[in-house]
Amino acid sequence: MGHHHVSSSAMFTNVLIVLLILTAVTVIASRIDFGPANMLIAMLIASVKASLVILFFMHMKWDTAINKIVFLSSFLFLSLLFIFTLADQATRRIDHPMHATKAKVSKEWAYPKPAMSEKH
Amino acid sequence: MSHDGHHSVVIPAPGPEFVPHTVAHHFDTPVQEFQSAKLGFWLFLATEILLFGGLFAAYFYYHDLYPETFRVGGQQLDWKLGAVNTSVLLLSSWTMAMGVRSAQTSQKQKTMLFCALTVLGAVIFMVIKFFEYKAKTEHGLFVFPHMFDNYQVDGSSNAGSLAWFTDVHNVMVDETGAPLLHGHLFFAIYVTMTAIHGLHVIIGAGLILWIMKGVAKGRFHAGYYLPVDLVGLYWHLVDLIWIFLFPLLYLVP
Repeated sequence: MGHHHVSSSAMFTNVLIVLLILTAVTVIASRIDFGPANMLIAMLIASVKASLVILFFMHMKWDTAINKIVFLSSFLFLSLLFIFTLADQATRRIDHPMHATKAKVSKEWAYPKPAMSEKH
Repeated sequence: MSHDGHHSVVIPAPGPEFVPHTVAHHFDTPVQEFQSAKLGFWLFLATEILLFGGLFAAYFYYHDLYPETFRVGGQQLDWKLGAVNTSVLLLSSWTMAMGVRSAQTSQKQKTMLFCALTVLGAVIFMVIKFFEYKAKTEHGLFVFPHMFDNYQVDGSSNAGSLAWFTDVHNVMVDETGAPLLHGHLFFAIYVTMTAIHGLHVIIGAGLILWIMKGVAKGRFHAGYYLPVDLVGLYWHLVDLIWIFLFPLLYLVP
């Protein structure tokens, strides 16, 4: 059956080694303060790792076009969810109490007394 | 296709230790059976991405609202245990890929061995996860034990307000000892995401055990390895989700 693709063991092992190295890079990168770029860097490395898993471990590289479209379309719809959720958040009034902690919390910052119960 | 004279397609066994595979009667060819099942499974995996995607959206939303809470929350977790678990899952993804490869090449013993190693990886992962949960519960950082503390069935005060959604516990403090706003939120998200992920690990391990039963009977070989392939895809998805969970929860950027 021509549609079967058997990958070599060496290829799988190489992918594993790269994934483990990238895990170490993730940890090291998180130790360095890049400011807001830390999130971007962490997600970028995770995306590269995810791509390696999808392309090679999950054989997507050799899969049919329809399977590629079906699976990758989930990321398209996911991006819609992210875009509208984060757009909503980004365009809210910034003086809304919900955003009270968006500024860096100062050392003197005191916790407002909870209105309800104080159990535990 | 006429019903009389229609015979199911049989894929012969490549050796005496294997059994032949009979293609399901509603498929004309083995290729059609293989591709139909694969398409259906990729579609299922797409829904899994969307399931976890909603949780990731919640994470990003609250992370942006309460960055301090998330930063301190992430520090309560042991990133070393998280890194070990990441490596365990990556290794088990490798053993699974090798298991599928062994099935594709009709290597019965190797398929069995790699599947067993993958299950071992799942067990190690869950044992580490168990001790992490145990430590966090003992420190009062989980909402589960206190979920119904504030709930009044008779409709009196605070009726219907579950502790999950309220701030009564002040579970975390910053460096000065001041409680952090919505300190429970990070752990509510942490436990929801990792518990649903953990459930997938357990289901995945169960599926691999079922595959091993089929391997023992000689059902999977170069001519037919579809179930091994699909369970492999499921296992890789579990790894895929964790690749994002690890930096977001243990190394909060």
